[in-house]
Amino acid sequence: MIATYIFGRVLSAVPTILILTFIVFLAIHLVPGDYIDIMLGTQNYLTDEQLSGLYKQYGLDKPFVVQYGIWLKNLITFNFGTSLRTGQKVSAMILEKLPVTFELAFFALFFSLVFGIPLGITSAVKRNRFGDYVVRVLGLIGLSAPTFWIGAILIVAVSGLFQDYTLFGFVSFQKDMAKNLQILLIPSLTLGLMLAAQIMRMARSSMLDVLSQEYVKVAKAKGVSTWKVIYRHALKNAMIPVITTAGIQFGYLMGGTILIENMFALPGLGRLLLQSVNQRDYPVIQGVVLFTGVFIVLMNILVDILYTLIDPRIDLR
Amino acid sequence: MEWKRLRRKFAKNPLNLISVVVFALFLAMAFFPQIFTQFEPNRMNSAVRMISPTASHIFGTDQFGRDIYSRVVHGVRETLSIAFLSIVLACVLGTALGVISGFYGRWIDQIVMRLMDAMFAFPTIILALFIIALYGASQKNLIIALGIVYTPIFTRTVRGSTISIKQFLYIKAAKALGKRDLSIMLKDVLPNLTSVLIVSFTTNFSTAVLSEASLSFLGLGVPPPTPTLGGMVGQGSNFLLSAPWIALFPGLFIALIVLSINIIGDGLRDVLDPRY
Repeated sequence: MIATYIFGRVLSAVPTILILTFIVFLAIHLVPGDYIDIMLGTQNYLTDEQLSGLYKQYGLDKPFVVQYGIWLKNLITFNFGTSLRTGQKVSAMILEKLPVTFELAFFALFFSLVFGIPLGITSAVKRNRFGDYVVRVLGLIGLSAPTFWIGAILIVAVSGLFQDYTLFGFVSFQKDMAKNLQILLIPSLTLGLMLAAQIMRMARSSMLDVLSQEYVKVAKAKGVSTWKVIYRHALKNAMIPVITTAGIQFGYLMGGTILIENMFALPGLGRLLLQSVNQRDYPVIQGVVLFTGVFIVLMNILVDILYTLIDPRIDLR
Repeated sequence: MEWKRLRRKFAKNPLNLISVVVFALFLAMAFFPQIFTQFEPNRMNSAVRMISPTASHIFGTDQFGRDIYSRVVHGVRETLSIAFLSIVLACVLGTALGVISGFYGRWIDQIVMRLMDAMFAFPTIILALFIIALYGASQKNLIIALGIVYTPIFTRTVRGSTISIKQFLYIKAAKALGKRDLSIMLKDVLPNLTSVLIVSFTTNFSTAVLSEASLSFLGLGVPPPTPTLGGMVGQGSNFLLSAPWIALFPGLFIALIVLSINIIGDGLRDVLDPRY
Protein backbone atom coordinates (compact mmCIF):
# COMPACT_ATOMS: atom_id res chain seq x y z
CA MET A 1 0.00 0.00 0.00
CA ILE A 2 2.78 2.38 0.91
CA ALA A 3 4.68 1.51 -2.23
CA THR A 4 1.60 2.28 -4.34
CA TYR A 5 1.18 5.58 -2.58
CA ILE A 6 4.81 6.56 -3.10
CA PHE A 7 4.64 5.54 -6.75
CA GLY A 8 1.45 7.56 -7.26
CA ARG A 9 2.90 10.59 -5.54
CA VAL A 10 6.05 10.51 -7.65
CA LEU A 11 3.99 10.06 -10.79
CA SER A 12 1.78 13.03 -9.92
CA ALA A 13 4.85 15.27 -9.99
CA VAL A 14 5.63 14.47 -13.60
CA PRO A 15 3.13 16.94 -15.12
CA THR A 16 4.28 19.63 -12.66
CA ILE A 17 7.89 19.14 -13.66
CA LEU A 18 6.96 19.09 -17.36
CA ILE A 19 5.04 22.37 -17.06
CA LEU A 20 7.92 23.80 -15.08
CA THR A 21 10.38 23.00 -17.85
CA PHE A 22 7.97 24.44 -20.38
CA ILE A 23 7.68 27.73 -18.45
CA VAL A 24 11.46 28.08 -18.36
CA PHE A 25 11.84 27.18 -22.03
CA LEU A 26 9.05 29.51 -23.12
CA ALA A 27 10.33 32.42 -21.02
CA ILE A 28 13.76 32.18 -22.61
CA HIS A 29 12.25 31.90 -26.07
CA LEU A 30 10.13 35.00 -25.68
CA VAL A 31 13.23 37.11 -25.09
CA PRO A 32 13.94 39.44 -27.99
CA GLY A 33 16.97 38.08 -29.87
CA ASP A 34 18.36 34.59 -29.34
CA TYR A 35 21.43 32.72 -28.15
CA ILE A 36 23.34 33.62 -31.28
CA ASP A 37 22.73 37.36 -30.84
CA ILE A 38 23.77 37.14 -27.24
CA MET A 39 26.88 35.10 -27.95
CA LEU A 40 28.04 37.38 -30.71
CA GLY A 41 27.19 40.51 -28.78
CA THR A 42 27.79 43.73 -30.67
CA GLN A 43 30.71 42.33 -32.67
CA ASN A 44 28.67 40.63 -35.34
CA TYR A 45 30.72 40.48 -38.54
CA LEU A 46 29.42 37.11 -39.76
CA THR A 47 27.97 36.59 -43.23
CA ASP A 48 24.39 35.38 -43.57
CA GLU A 49 25.69 31.99 -44.57
CA GLN A 50 27.87 31.64 -41.48
CA LEU A 51 24.92 32.80 -39.35
CA SER A 52 22.55 30.20 -40.73
CA GLY A 53 25.28 27.62 -40.15
CA LEU A 54 25.38 28.62 -36.50
CA TYR A 55 21.58 28.48 -36.32
CA LYS A 56 21.66 24.96 -37.67
CA GLN A 57 24.37 23.92 -35.26
CA TYR A 58 22.28 25.03 -32.29
CA GLY A 59 19.05 23.69 -33.74
CA LEU A 60 17.49 27.14 -33.81
CA ASP A 61 16.23 26.64 -37.38
CA LYS A 62 13.80 23.95 -36.23
CA PRO A 63 10.19 24.64 -35.16
CA PHE A 64 9.49 25.64 -31.56
CA VAL A 65 8.01 22.31 -30.49
CA VAL A 66 10.90 20.33 -31.95
CA GLN A 67 13.39 22.59 -30.18
CA TYR A 68 11.54 22.02 -26.91
CA GLY A 69 11.60 18.27 -27.51
CA ILE A 70 15.35 18.21 -28.13
CA TRP A 71 15.96 20.41 -25.11
CA LEU A 72 13.79 18.18 -22.93
CA LYS A 73 15.61 15.08 -24.13
CA ASN A 74 18.89 16.69 -23.14
CA LEU A 75 17.51 17.62 -19.72
CA ILE A 76 16.60 14.02 -18.95
CA THR A 77 20.23 13.06 -19.46
CA PHE A 78 21.22 15.93 -17.15
CA ASN A 79 22.59 17.88 -20.09
CA PHE A 80 21.86 21.53 -19.36
CA GLY A 81 24.14 22.80 -22.12
CA THR A 82 27.37 24.74 -21.72
CA SER A 83 28.15 28.17 -20.33
CA LEU A 84 28.42 30.92 -22.94
CA ARG A 85 31.25 32.52 -20.98
CA THR A 86 33.45 29.69 -19.77
CA GLY A 87 32.44 26.82 -22.04
CA GLN A 88 32.06 24.61 -18.97
CA LYS A 89 29.19 22.17 -18.70
CA VAL A 90 26.31 23.77 -16.77
CA SER A 91 25.59 20.53 -14.91
CA ALA A 92 29.20 20.37 -13.73
CA MET A 93 29.06 24.00 -12.60
CA ILE A 94 25.88 23.32 -10.60
CA LEU A 95 27.34 20.21 -8.96
CA GLU A 96 30.47 22.13 -8.06
CA LYS A 97 28.58 24.96 -6.31
CA LEU A 98 25.85 22.86 -4.75
CA PRO A 99 27.73 21.67 -1.61
CA VAL A 100 28.26 25.26 -0.43
CA THR A 101 24.58 26.13 -0.79
CA PHE A 102 23.53 22.85 0.84
CA GLU A 103 25.80 23.38 3.78
CA LEU A 104 24.52 26.93 4.25
CA ALA A 105 20.88 25.82 3.98
CA PHE A 106 21.45 22.87 6.30
CA PHE A 107 22.97 24.99 9.08
CA ALA A 108 20.30 27.65 8.58
CA LEU A 109 17.62 25.01 9.03
CA PHE A 110 19.41 23.73 12.13
CA PHE A 111 19.49 27.21 13.70
CA SER A 112 15.87 27.89 12.79
CA LEU A 113 14.73 24.71 14.56
CA VAL A 114 16.96 25.30 17.58
CA PHE A 115 15.54 28.80 18.08
CA GLY A 116 12.08 28.39 16.60
CA ILE A 117 10.74 25.26 18.29
CA PRO A 118 11.52 26.05 21.96
CA LEU A 119 10.34 29.65 21.57
CA GLY A 120 7.15 28.58 19.84
CA ILE A 121 6.35 26.00 22.51
CA THR A 122 7.06 28.41 25.37
CA SER A 123 4.87 30.99 23.68
CA ALA A 124 1.98 28.52 23.37
CA VAL A 125 2.29 27.27 26.93
CA LYS A 126 2.46 30.80 28.35
CA ARG A 127 -0.35 31.95 26.07
CA ASN A 128 -1.37 35.59 26.51
CA ARG A 129 1.22 36.20 29.18
CA PHE A 130 4.28 38.41 29.04
CA GLY A 131 6.61 35.76 27.58
CA ASP A 132 4.12 35.02 24.82
CA TYR A 133 3.96 38.68 23.81
CA VAL A 134 7.73 39.01 23.73
CA VAL A 135 8.09 35.92 21.54
CA ARG A 136 5.27 37.01 19.22
CA VAL A 137 6.76 40.48 18.76
CA LEU A 138 10.16 38.89 18.05
CA GLY A 139 8.48 36.62 15.51
CA LEU A 140 6.79 39.55 13.81
CA ILE A 141 10.08 41.43 13.61
CA GLY A 142 11.77 38.32 12.24
CA LEU A 143 9.16 38.08 9.50
CA SER A 144 9.43 41.78 8.65
CA ALA A 145 13.14 42.50 8.70
CA PRO A 146 14.87 41.83 5.38
CA THR A 147 17.41 38.99 5.62
CA PHE A 148 20.18 41.09 4.12
CA TRP A 149 19.60 43.83 6.71
CA ILE A 150 19.90 41.32 9.56
CA GLY A 151 23.06 40.11 7.84
CA ALA A 152 24.43 43.67 7.69
CA ILE A 153 23.70 44.22 11.38
CA LEU A 154 25.41 40.95 12.30
CA ILE A 155 28.48 41.85 10.22
CA VAL A 156 28.76 45.23 11.95
CA ALA A 157 28.16 43.71 15.38
CA VAL A 158 30.53 40.76 15.02
CA SER A 159 33.36 42.80 13.55
CA GLY A 160 32.88 45.39 16.30
CA LEU A 161 32.79 42.91 19.17
CA PHE A 162 35.37 40.38 17.97
CA GLN A 163 38.00 42.29 16.04
CA ASP A 164 39.91 39.27 14.77
CA TYR A 165 36.90 37.17 13.72
CA THR A 166 37.23 36.17 10.06
CA LEU A 167 33.89 36.78 8.33
CA PHE A 168 34.90 36.37 4.70
CA GLY A 169 37.10 34.09 2.61
CA PHE A 170 35.33 30.79 2.14
CA VAL A 171 37.22 27.50 2.37
CA SER A 172 35.65 24.12 1.77
CA PHE A 173 34.73 21.75 4.57
CA GLN A 174 37.21 19.12 3.34
CA LYS A 175 40.09 21.59 3.27
CA ASP A 176 39.77 23.26 6.65
CA MET A 177 36.83 22.18 8.77
CA ALA A 178 37.25 24.71 11.58
CA LYS A 179 37.63 27.67 9.27
CA ASN A 180 34.76 26.49 7.09
CA LEU A 181 32.44 26.37 10.09
CA GLN A 182 33.64 29.73 11.36
CA ILE A 183 33.00 31.43 8.01
CA LEU A 184 29.58 29.82 7.64
CA LEU A 185 28.41 30.53 11.19
CA ILE A 186 27.20 34.10 10.68
CA PRO A 187 25.66 33.59 7.20
CA SER A 188 23.71 30.54 8.31
CA LEU A 189 22.65 32.25 11.51
CA THR A 190 21.32 35.17 9.43
CA LEU A 191 19.35 32.89 7.17
CA GLY A 192 18.27 30.74 10.10
CA LEU A 193 16.84 33.65 12.09
CA MET A 194 14.52 34.54 9.22
CA LEU A 195 13.25 30.98 9.03
CA ALA A 196 13.10 30.69 12.83
CA ALA A 197 10.33 33.30 12.87
CA GLN A 198 8.18 31.13 10.61
CA ILE A 199 9.00 27.92 12.47
CA MET A 200 8.19 29.64 15.75
CA ARG A 201 4.77 30.81 14.59
CA MET A 202 4.04 27.36 13.23
CA ALA A 203 5.19 25.64 16.43
CA ARG A 204 3.09 28.01 18.53
CA SER A 205 -0.17 27.50 16.64
CA SER A 206 0.40 23.77 16.31
CA MET A 207 1.10 23.46 20.04
CA LEU A 208 -2.01 25.49 20.86
CA ASP A 209 -4.05 23.09 18.72
CA VAL A 210 -2.70 20.06 20.51
CA LEU A 211 -3.05 21.59 23.97
CA SER A 212 -6.78 22.03 23.40
CA GLN A 213 -7.23 18.32 22.62
CA GLU A 214 -9.12 16.04 24.99
CA TYR A 215 -6.22 13.70 25.79
CA VAL A 216 -4.09 16.60 26.97
CA LYS A 217 -6.90 17.83 29.18
CA VAL A 218 -7.35 14.33 30.59
CA ALA A 219 -3.66 14.04 31.37
CA LYS A 220 -3.76 17.39 33.11
CA ALA A 221 -6.87 16.40 35.07
CA LYS A 222 -5.06 13.29 36.24
CA GLY A 223 -2.55 15.60 37.86
CA VAL A 224 0.37 15.21 35.48
CA SER A 225 2.58 18.29 35.64
CA THR A 226 2.32 20.78 32.76
CA TRP A 227 5.82 20.26 31.37
CA LYS A 228 5.47 16.50 31.62
CA VAL A 229 2.20 16.66 29.66
CA ILE A 230 3.93 18.70 27.03
CA TYR A 231 6.96 16.47 26.87
CA ARG A 232 5.17 13.13 27.00
CA HIS A 233 1.95 13.79 25.12
CA ALA A 234 1.78 17.03 23.20
CA LEU A 235 5.24 17.47 21.72
CA LYS A 236 5.25 14.60 19.28
CA ASN A 237 1.90 15.44 17.74
CA ALA A 238 2.58 19.14 17.66
CA MET A 239 5.87 18.69 15.89
CA ILE A 240 4.55 16.87 12.82
CA PRO A 241 3.32 20.01 11.00
CA VAL A 242 6.41 21.92 12.16
CA ILE A 243 8.78 19.37 10.67
CA THR A 244 6.73 19.38 7.47
CA THR A 245 7.06 23.15 7.24
CA ALA A 246 10.77 22.86 7.88
CA GLY A 247 11.15 20.26 5.14
CA ILE A 248 9.29 22.34 2.61
CA GLN A 249 11.20 25.44 3.67
CA PHE A 250 14.50 23.69 3.09
CA GLY A 251 13.77 23.80 -0.62
CA TYR A 252 12.66 27.42 -0.52
CA LEU A 253 15.82 28.36 1.39
CA MET A 254 17.40 28.30 -2.06
CA GLY A 255 15.76 31.70 -2.50
CA GLY A 256 17.28 33.09 0.67
CA THR A 257 20.71 31.69 -0.04
CA ILE A 258 21.09 33.91 -3.11
CA LEU A 259 20.96 37.00 -0.86
CA ILE A 260 23.24 35.57 1.80
CA GLU A 261 25.79 34.09 -0.59
CA ASN A 262 26.18 37.43 -2.33
CA MET A 263 26.40 39.32 0.92
CA PHE A 264 29.02 37.02 2.45
CA ALA A 265 30.85 36.15 -0.78
CA LEU A 266 30.13 32.42 -0.55
CA PRO A 267 30.75 30.53 -3.81
CA GLY A 268 27.40 28.72 -3.96
CA LEU A 269 24.55 28.31 -6.40
CA GLY A 270 23.01 31.70 -5.61
CA ARG A 271 26.23 33.53 -6.36
CA LEU A 272 26.60 31.55 -9.58
CA LEU A 273 23.06 32.55 -10.55
CA LEU A 274 23.63 36.26 -9.93
CA GLN A 275 26.96 36.21 -11.76
CA SER A 276 25.33 34.55 -14.75
CA VAL A 277 22.53 37.10 -14.68
CA ASN A 278 25.06 39.92 -14.76
CA GLN A 279 26.96 38.24 -17.61
CA ARG A 280 23.77 37.28 -19.49
CA ASP A 281 24.92 33.66 -19.47
CA TYR A 282 21.50 32.21 -20.32
CA PRO A 283 22.28 28.46 -20.29
CA VAL A 284 23.61 28.78 -16.73
CA ILE A 285 20.66 30.93 -15.56
CA GLN A 286 18.26 28.46 -17.09
CA GLY A 287 20.07 25.49 -15.57
CA VAL A 288 20.17 26.89 -12.05
CA VAL A 289 16.54 28.07 -12.14
CA LEU A 290 15.34 24.71 -13.44
CA PHE A 291 17.44 22.81 -10.95
CA THR A 292 15.96 24.83 -8.08
CA GLY A 293 12.39 24.24 -9.28
CA VAL A 294 12.80 20.50 -9.77
CA PHE A 295 14.65 20.19 -6.47
CA ILE A 296 11.76 21.85 -4.63
CA VAL A 297 9.16 19.63 -6.31
CA LEU A 298 11.16 16.53 -5.31
CA MET A 299 11.66 17.90 -1.81
CA ASN A 300 7.91 18.40 -1.41
CA ILE A 301 7.27 14.81 -2.51
CA LEU A 302 9.80 13.54 0.00
CA VAL A 303 8.16 15.56 2.77
CA ASP A 304 4.72 14.25 1.78
CA ILE A 305 5.93 10.68 1.87
CA LEU A 306 7.70 11.07 5.22
CA TYR A 307 4.59 12.77 6.59
CA THR A 308 2.41 9.81 5.69
CA LEU A 309 4.90 7.43 7.22
CA ILE A 310 5.11 9.38 10.49
CA ASP A 311 1.48 10.31 10.96
CA PRO A 312 -0.73 7.24 11.40
CA ARG A 313 -3.88 9.34 11.03
CA ILE A 314 -3.34 9.83 7.32
CA ASP A 315 -5.29 7.40 5.21
CA LEU A 316 -3.28 6.13 2.29
CA ARG A 317 -6.29 5.32 0.19
CA MET B 1 -23.32 49.09 10.66
CA GLU B 2 -21.21 46.08 9.76
CA TRP B 3 -18.15 48.15 8.86
CA LYS B 4 -18.52 50.26 11.99
CA ARG B 5 -18.43 47.15 14.17
CA LEU B 6 -15.39 45.79 12.34
CA ARG B 7 -13.63 49.12 12.63
CA ARG B 8 -14.21 49.23 16.36
CA LYS B 9 -12.88 45.69 16.72
CA PHE B 10 -9.77 46.63 14.72
CA ALA B 11 -9.16 49.80 16.74
CA LYS B 12 -9.35 47.89 20.03
CA ASN B 13 -5.72 46.83 19.66
CA PRO B 14 -3.44 49.86 20.12
CA LEU B 15 -0.71 48.16 18.06
CA ASN B 16 -3.05 48.20 15.05
CA LEU B 17 -3.62 51.92 15.41
CA ILE B 18 0.08 52.70 15.78
CA SER B 19 0.80 50.67 12.65
CA VAL B 20 -1.85 52.52 10.68
CA VAL B 21 -0.28 55.84 11.70
CA VAL B 22 3.23 54.62 10.84
CA PHE B 23 2.09 53.29 7.50
CA ALA B 24 0.24 56.54 6.75
CA LEU B 25 3.50 58.36 7.40
CA PHE B 26 5.26 56.16 4.84
CA LEU B 27 2.46 56.83 2.36
CA ALA B 28 2.90 60.56 2.90
CA MET B 29 6.64 60.14 2.22
CA ALA B 30 5.84 58.28 -0.98
CA PHE B 31 3.48 60.97 -2.24
CA PHE B 32 5.20 64.13 -0.98
CA PRO B 33 8.88 63.34 -0.34
CA GLN B 34 9.82 67.05 -0.64
CA ILE B 35 7.97 67.89 2.57
CA PHE B 36 10.17 65.51 4.54
CA THR B 37 13.56 66.41 3.12
CA GLN B 38 15.75 69.42 2.52
CA PHE B 39 18.31 67.82 0.17
CA GLU B 40 17.98 66.53 -3.37
CA PRO B 41 18.30 62.71 -3.19
CA ASN B 42 20.85 62.61 -6.02
CA ARG B 43 22.85 65.76 -5.22
CA MET B 44 26.50 64.87 -4.69
CA ASN B 45 28.65 66.94 -2.40
CA SER B 46 32.30 66.00 -2.15
CA ALA B 47 32.73 68.12 0.98
CA VAL B 48 30.59 65.78 3.06
CA ARG B 49 31.53 62.31 1.85
CA MET B 50 30.72 59.40 4.17
CA ILE B 51 30.16 61.49 7.25
CA SER B 52 28.40 59.81 10.15
CA PRO B 53 24.94 61.03 11.25
CA THR B 54 24.93 64.69 12.32
CA ALA B 55 22.27 67.35 12.92
CA SER B 56 22.09 68.38 9.26
CA HIS B 57 22.49 64.86 7.84
CA ILE B 58 20.59 62.83 10.40
CA PHE B 59 21.30 59.49 8.67
CA GLY B 60 24.78 60.54 7.49
CA THR B 61 25.99 60.66 3.88
CA ASP B 62 27.22 58.08 1.38
CA GLN B 63 30.45 57.77 -0.62
CA PHE B 64 29.30 60.53 -3.02
CA GLY B 65 28.25 62.89 -0.24
CA ARG B 66 24.56 62.30 -0.90
CA ASP B 67 22.22 62.70 2.07
CA ILE B 68 21.08 59.23 3.16
CA TYR B 69 17.90 60.45 4.82
CA SER B 70 16.71 62.21 1.63
CA ARG B 71 17.51 59.15 -0.43
CA VAL B 72 15.71 56.87 1.99
CA VAL B 73 12.56 59.04 1.90
CA HIS B 74 12.60 59.06 -1.89
CA GLY B 75 13.31 55.33 -1.92
CA VAL B 76 10.10 54.67 -0.02
CA ARG B 77 8.10 55.83 -3.04
CA GLU B 78 9.87 53.42 -5.40
CA THR B 79 9.48 50.45 -3.07
CA LEU B 80 5.85 51.09 -2.15
CA SER B 81 4.66 51.84 -5.67
CA ILE B 82 6.34 48.77 -7.20
CA ALA B 83 5.12 46.46 -4.45
CA PHE B 84 1.61 47.91 -4.54
CA LEU B 85 1.16 47.80 -8.31
CA SER B 86 2.57 44.30 -8.57
CA ILE B 87 0.14 43.03 -5.96
CA VAL B 88 -2.74 44.80 -7.73
CA LEU B 89 -1.69 42.98 -10.89
CA ALA B 90 -1.38 39.65 -9.05
CA CYS B 91 -4.72 40.21 -7.34
CA VAL B 92 -6.54 40.91 -10.63
CA LEU B 93 -4.91 38.02 -12.52
CA GLY B 94 -5.17 35.62 -9.60
CA THR B 95 -8.81 36.46 -8.88
CA ALA B 96 -9.79 36.02 -12.52
CA LEU B 97 -7.98 32.68 -12.78
CA GLY B 98 -9.16 31.51 -9.38
CA VAL B 99 -12.84 32.33 -9.96
CA ILE B 100 -12.84 30.72 -13.41
CA SER B 101 -10.96 27.69 -12.12
CA GLY B 102 -13.20 27.22 -9.10
CA PHE B 103 -16.43 28.02 -10.93
CA TYR B 104 -15.98 25.69 -13.90
CA GLY B 105 -13.85 22.99 -12.28
CA ARG B 106 -12.93 19.97 -14.40
CA TRP B 107 -10.28 20.39 -17.11
CA ILE B 108 -10.06 24.17 -16.86
CA ASP B 109 -9.35 23.79 -13.16
CA GLN B 110 -6.80 21.06 -13.87
CA ILE B 111 -4.88 23.15 -16.38
CA VAL B 112 -4.87 26.33 -14.30
CA MET B 113 -3.93 24.61 -11.08
CA ARG B 114 -1.14 22.51 -12.59
CA LEU B 115 0.30 25.69 -14.05
CA MET B 116 0.11 27.36 -10.66
CA ASP B 117 1.71 24.32 -8.98
CA ALA B 118 4.63 24.58 -11.35
CA MET B 119 5.07 28.28 -10.58
CA PHE B 120 4.87 27.56 -6.87
CA ALA B 121 7.91 25.32 -7.24
CA PHE B 122 10.15 28.35 -7.60
CA PRO B 123 11.12 30.53 -4.65
CA THR B 124 9.55 33.95 -5.28
CA ILE B 125 12.84 35.72 -5.66
CA ILE B 126 14.30 33.15 -8.07
CA LEU B 127 11.31 33.34 -10.42
CA ALA B 128 11.24 37.15 -10.30
CA LEU B 129 15.00 37.27 -10.86
CA PHE B 130 14.63 34.92 -13.82
CA ILE B 131 12.08 37.21 -15.47
CA ILE B 132 14.14 40.33 -14.74
CA ALA B 133 17.28 38.63 -16.06
CA LEU B 134 15.55 37.89 -19.34
CA TYR B 135 13.74 41.15 -19.91
CA GLY B 136 15.90 43.70 -18.09
CA ALA B 137 15.51 45.67 -14.89
CA SER B 138 13.06 48.55 -15.08
CA GLN B 139 10.15 49.70 -12.98
CA LYS B 140 7.65 48.23 -15.44
CA ASN B 141 9.41 44.85 -15.65
CA LEU B 142 9.73 44.63 -11.87
CA ILE B 143 5.98 45.18 -11.49
CA ILE B 144 5.21 42.56 -14.14
CA ALA B 145 7.71 40.05 -12.72
CA LEU B 146 6.48 40.36 -9.14
CA GLY B 147 2.88 40.46 -10.36
CA ILE B 148 3.32 37.14 -12.15
CA VAL B 149 5.18 35.60 -9.23
CA TYR B 150 2.42 36.47 -6.74
CA THR B 151 -0.46 35.41 -9.01
CA PRO B 152 -0.52 31.73 -7.96
CA ILE B 153 -1.01 32.68 -4.30
CA PHE B 154 -4.17 34.64 -5.13
CA THR B 155 -5.37 32.00 -7.58
CA ARG B 156 -5.17 29.28 -4.96
CA THR B 157 -6.94 31.29 -2.26
CA VAL B 158 -9.68 32.59 -4.55
CA ARG B 159 -10.26 29.18 -6.12
CA GLY B 160 -10.81 27.61 -2.71
CA SER B 161 -13.29 30.28 -1.68
CA THR B 162 -15.10 30.12 -5.03
CA ILE B 163 -15.62 26.38 -4.67
CA SER B 164 -17.29 26.84 -1.30
CA ILE B 165 -19.35 29.85 -2.46
CA LYS B 166 -20.54 27.81 -5.44
CA GLN B 167 -22.35 25.44 -3.07
CA PHE B 168 -24.61 28.21 -1.77
CA LEU B 169 -28.26 28.04 -2.72
CA TYR B 170 -28.47 31.48 -4.27
CA ILE B 171 -25.79 30.60 -6.81
CA LYS B 172 -27.70 27.49 -7.76
CA ALA B 173 -30.86 29.59 -7.96
CA ALA B 174 -29.17 32.11 -10.21
CA LYS B 175 -28.04 29.29 -12.46
CA ALA B 176 -31.51 27.77 -12.53
CA LEU B 177 -32.94 31.16 -13.50
CA GLY B 178 -30.69 31.12 -16.54
CA LYS B 179 -28.38 33.93 -15.44
CA ARG B 180 -25.20 34.07 -17.53
CA ASP B 181 -22.02 32.58 -16.03
CA LEU B 182 -20.06 35.80 -16.30
CA SER B 183 -22.76 37.74 -14.54
CA ILE B 184 -22.92 35.15 -11.73
CA MET B 185 -19.14 35.30 -11.30
CA LEU B 186 -19.04 39.09 -11.22
CA LYS B 187 -22.20 39.84 -9.26
CA ASP B 188 -22.66 36.83 -6.99
CA VAL B 189 -19.23 35.27 -6.46
CA LEU B 190 -16.90 38.27 -6.50
CA PRO B 191 -18.57 40.34 -3.74
CA ASN B 192 -18.27 37.35 -1.41
CA LEU B 193 -14.53 37.26 -1.91
CA THR B 194 -13.97 40.76 -0.52
CA SER B 195 -12.74 39.85 2.94
CA VAL B 196 -10.54 37.01 1.66
CA LEU B 197 -9.00 39.38 -0.87
CA ILE B 198 -8.39 42.16 1.66
CA VAL B 199 -6.49 39.81 3.96
CA SER B 200 -4.58 38.22 1.10
CA PHE B 201 -3.74 41.60 -0.35
CA THR B 202 -2.17 42.95 2.83
CA THR B 203 -0.13 39.84 3.67
CA ASN B 204 1.24 39.61 0.15
CA PHE B 205 1.83 43.35 -0.08
CA SER B 206 4.29 43.09 2.80
CA THR B 207 6.18 40.18 1.24
CA ALA B 208 6.21 42.00 -2.10
CA VAL B 209 7.96 44.91 -0.39
CA LEU B 210 10.59 42.43 0.80
CA SER B 211 10.87 40.86 -2.66
CA GLU B 212 11.34 44.23 -4.34
CA ALA B 213 13.93 45.17 -1.73
CA SER B 214 15.74 41.85 -2.23
CA LEU B 215 15.90 42.26 -6.00
CA SER B 216 17.15 45.83 -5.61
CA PHE B 217 19.69 44.60 -3.07
CA LEU B 218 21.02 42.19 -5.70
CA GLY B 219 21.28 45.06 -8.17
CA LEU B 220 18.27 43.95 -10.20
CA GLY B 221 15.87 46.68 -9.13
CA VAL B 222 15.20 50.06 -10.70
CA PRO B 223 18.63 51.09 -12.01
CA PRO B 224 20.67 53.81 -10.26
CA PRO B 225 20.85 56.70 -9.58
CA THR B 226 17.15 56.36 -8.62
CA PRO B 227 17.27 55.65 -4.90
CA THR B 228 15.73 52.32 -3.84
CA LEU B 229 15.82 51.06 -0.27
CA GLY B 230 17.15 47.62 -1.16
CA GLY B 231 19.66 49.06 -3.59
CA MET B 232 21.02 51.38 -0.92
CA VAL B 233 21.59 48.45 1.43
CA GLY B 234 23.30 46.60 -1.41
CA GLN B 235 25.59 49.53 -2.20
CA GLY B 236 26.19 50.28 1.45
CA SER B 237 27.21 46.67 2.14
CA ASN B 238 30.60 47.52 0.66
CA PHE B 239 31.17 50.08 3.43
CA LEU B 240 29.70 48.19 6.39
CA LEU B 241 32.86 48.43 8.44
CA SER B 242 33.77 52.04 7.66
CA ALA B 243 30.31 53.63 7.25
CA PRO B 244 27.60 51.27 8.50
CA TRP B 245 24.88 53.97 8.38
CA ILE B 246 24.80 53.84 4.57
CA ALA B 247 23.28 50.35 4.66
CA LEU B 248 21.62 50.19 8.06
CA PHE B 249 19.16 53.12 7.81
CA PRO B 250 17.57 52.11 4.49
CA GLY B 251 17.27 48.56 5.87
CA LEU B 252 15.56 49.88 8.98
CA PHE B 253 13.00 51.64 6.80
CA ILE B 254 12.26 48.44 4.87
CA ALA B 255 11.79 46.60 8.16
CA LEU B 256 9.46 49.30 9.52
CA ILE B 257 7.34 49.40 6.35
CA VAL B 258 6.96 45.63 6.30
CA LEU B 259 6.34 45.46 10.05
CA SER B 260 3.57 48.05 9.91
CA ILE B 261 1.87 46.27 7.01
CA ASN B 262 2.22 42.91 8.76
CA ILE B 263 0.61 44.19 11.95
CA ILE B 264 -2.22 45.78 9.96
CA GLY B 265 -2.59 42.50 8.06
CA ASP B 266 -2.76 40.45 11.27
CA GLY B 267 -5.32 42.91 12.66
CA LEU B 268 -7.47 42.72 9.53
CA ARG B 269 -7.32 38.93 9.58
CA ASP B 270 -8.45 38.82 13.19
CA VAL B 271 -11.37 41.06 12.31
CA LEU B 272 -12.39 39.62 8.95
CA ASP B 273 -11.58 35.94 9.21
CA PRO B 274 -14.14 34.11 11.35
CA ARG B 275 -11.66 31.34 12.11
CA TYR B 276 -9.49 33.58 14.26
